[in-house]
Amino acid sequence: MSKKAHGEATKASHVPLGLFTAALFSLIFIAIPLVYLLRRALEGNWRSLSALLFREKTAQIFTTTSSLVIIVSLMASILGVSLAWSLHNVKIPMRNLQQALVILPIAIPSYVFTFSWISINPSISGFWAAVFILVLSTTPYVSLAALSGLRRVDWSQHEVAMTLGLNPFRTFIEITLPQIRNSVAAGTLLVALYVLSDFGAVALLGVDTFTRSISNLYRGSFDRSSAAVLALILVLLSATLIAIESRARGKARQSRNSARLLKQPILINSRGTKLAAQILIALYLALSLITPMGLLLLRFFNSAGTIDYPSLFSASISTIVAAFLGALISISLALPIGLLVLTGSRLGNLADKGVLLVHALPGIVMGLALVAFGSEFPWLYQTLGLLAFSYALLFMAKSVGSVRSALARVPQNLIDISATLGKSRAQTFRAVILPLAAPGVLTGSLLVLLAAMKELPATLMLRPTGFETLATEMWALTAISRFSEAAPYALFLVLIAAIPTFLINRPDRGSNEEGDIA
Amino acid sequence: MGSKLKKSRLFLALASFAALASTLVGCSSDSSEGQSLVIYSGRSEEFIAPFLAEFTEKTGIQLDVRYGDSAALAAQILEEGENSPADLFLSQDAGSLGAVSAAGLLRSLDQDLIKKVENKYQSTNQDWVGITGRVRVFVYSPDRVSVLPKSIDDLLAAEWKGRLAIAPTNSSFQAFISSLIQSRGDAAAEQWLNGLMKNEPKLYEKNSQIVEAVDAGEIDLGLVNHYYLWEVAQELGRDLNAAIEFFQPGDLGNLINVSGAGILNTAKNFAGAQELIAYLLEEGTQAKFVSDTHEYSIVNPSLTPEGLPALAAIKSPAIDLSTLADLKRTQDLLIRVGLL
Repeated sequence: MSKKAHGEATKASHVPLGLFTAALFSLIFIAIPLVYLLRRALEGNWRSLSALLFREKTAQIFTTTSSLVIIVSLMASILGVSLAWSLHNVKIPMRNLQQALVILPIAIPSYVFTFSWISINPSISGFWAAVFILVLSTTPYVSLAALSGLRRVDWSQHEVAMTLGLNPFRTFIEITLPQIRNSVAAGTLLVALYVLSDFGAVALLGVDTFTRSISNLYRGSFDRSSAAVLALILVLLSATLIAIESRARGKARQSRNSARLLKQPILINSRGTKLAAQILIALYLALSLITPMGLLLLRFFNSAGTIDYPSLFSASISTIVAAFLGALISISLALPIGLLVLTGSRLGNLADKGVLLVHALPGIVMGLALVAFGSEFPWLYQTLGLLAFSYALLFMAKSVGSVRSALARVPQNLIDISATLGKSRAQTFRAVILPLAAPGVLTGSLLVLLAAMKELPATLMLRPTGFETLATEMWALTAISRFSEAAPYALFLVLIAAIPTFLINRPDRGSNEEGDIA
Repeated sequence: MGSKLKKSRLFLALASFAALASTLVGCSSDSSEGQSLVIYSGRSEEFIAPFLAEFTEKTGIQLDVRYGDSAALAAQILEEGENSPADLFLSQDAGSLGAVSAAGLLRSLDQDLIKKVENKYQSTNQDWVGITGRVRVFVYSPDRVSVLPKSIDDLLAAEWKGRLAIAPTNSSFQAFISSLIQSRGDAAAEQWLNGLMKNEPKLYEKNSQIVEAVDAGEIDLGLVNHYYLWEVAQELGRDLNAAIEFFQPGDLGNLINVSGAGILNTAKNFAGAQELIAYLLEEGTQAKFVSDTHEYSIVNPSLTPEGLPALAAIKSPAIDLSTLADLKRTQDLLIRVGLL
């Protein structure tokens, strides 16, 4: 019953060289955009930079961005947890299908989302419109995390509390919530970092966030040093958020016990609760899924005759290939980091946080950083490899959380047994850790896959000439106001992205995949 | 579970190996016979591709075109610096060309090419030329606007309160403000903007949104570029409840911006690139620009897009287009008045 760090048995007196190297590489890769930003920022003259930093407008941008992040994160986490709880604890019909549908809005890029709502009501704009749209589109991150957390709760405590007369709401707050707090915090962090980096929604709705200002600076005055300064502020904001989440995670109770007395809750059957839960879910789906999808389908059928099918299919293939490669690179970096975090290595922790640090960088910044870096190597520049690599850098953070917690959940006793039986660390990894952690690892890689499919600004800059993804084709058409022609590309993007989204739900089902031992 | 995991992992490994290998192979330039050009085009593929295809047909020069937003492409070229793979930069506006020129990345063009274009439509360094003209206009609702403004100063009148629209983040609006600063000075420009702000103009992100808003009845008048009416009408497939008009001849509101081209210092095929520019400036090609993309011709001002007045009649203000590259002053001003 030692309280030492998990993975004690796998830790010899040193960290395995392979893992160390991989994590080191990750840190080097993360350094590329950060070094780029520092270089550009230092190129500017101090007077104009300090004028930029301390002018009133920057303070306004700071306030707007922070408010947007805080409000959206708060609302998304409350909504996400409520949805997850309704789906998991209440006896509603077709639970599995509804769970899958609630996650599906992740597949819709924020600019497509915004376009749909603008076409319904052209005058929607401003801060609260952005809050509305961002909450709807980022809640799935929290729902996903909360659902995953709820599936690992030991419900016996909950039932005991109910038997003792504690009302359901207090039971939830005092018994259940602490157990899922880590997952919810991780999901909310992703929401917060996403809001920091979002460009599509805030640009179309005219909200002055850092990302929008950075983009305007690059494209308006070509003032790269000012833009770099603002981007560095973004990095600082990310660091703050990461630190907050880390502390929230640290304090909550870790339930790493492999044995749970009660793995499924007793579903609530009261009519009132069932109705309320179903209405909440239906409302959410109506606003975030049915509305944008409906509009896309409508526009698609309107322009069905004029669709350029070869272009559509080739763009679809390109999207899938590039995103898949990106997810692959991302996982091969995230796994070693996760394992290192397990061994309590400081390098692992550094890499784990570092990856999150660059997650809030807008696509245009990452794109330009990799242009500056990649153009030095003609064999690498504007190749598919560099594009996939940019996806990994941009979105690796989405996988790190799932991978880390999936690895952490592998029961220590199984690892100990394997060591006692004489297996090497690598054998233990392959035979014990990987199969048990596979569902979480898969979820992480699917999240990267999804994000990579939707990516636009970095793709425009780094793609091989002539390599078009669904997002770039869509952009090319909307740039000349051909919205109906863009609709098929948007539709295909969402349909293709829906596939991994459905898969994300499936591996987590069933408790026997989590290594529970009765 | 074990063998299934093994098989899927093997497949995964093979697939990733193949993919990674293909990326390295894919990037090696195939030195096929005949020339080629690498083009960064801020002009939309939809409009420019037919012209480029015809060029390839005529000359046999293969074109590798990279499409994107003019300003983002300019930023990319600035980052690439001397490592840029591009030969030619086709830009939708003069500002982006000016930025690349100011960084010293463009190569001087031959005299016979320079001579084809009027001085005011090209770079002062002779390293880029305009190709088509894109004019600032105002779009208005014929139903709700009976007396048309003659000058941009008319828009400051109280009767326009709540009825105007602009797109301050749009590069063409910023180009207009730059020309305002250039001709009237910082103080007077700020005064005009403050006066405009008193009329509480509605802000949009895109010019096309402004046209749609006029059509839908949300606003009565907006400042846009001339071809957006045509573009939006095409998209919606019907005539719009909107019309465009120019301010009085010589007014600052009639600014002409140009789409243009410049050749990079890093160009591997300078001759080929010049040939392309010459082709784009040819009479026949210019006439096609006017009829197909609804723009004005830089070379032959008498060619006019359907339904619009001739360039000579508009009399746009004489502005040094290369100053449009430094939008910093403009952006600072727009930030000061609260538009950015």
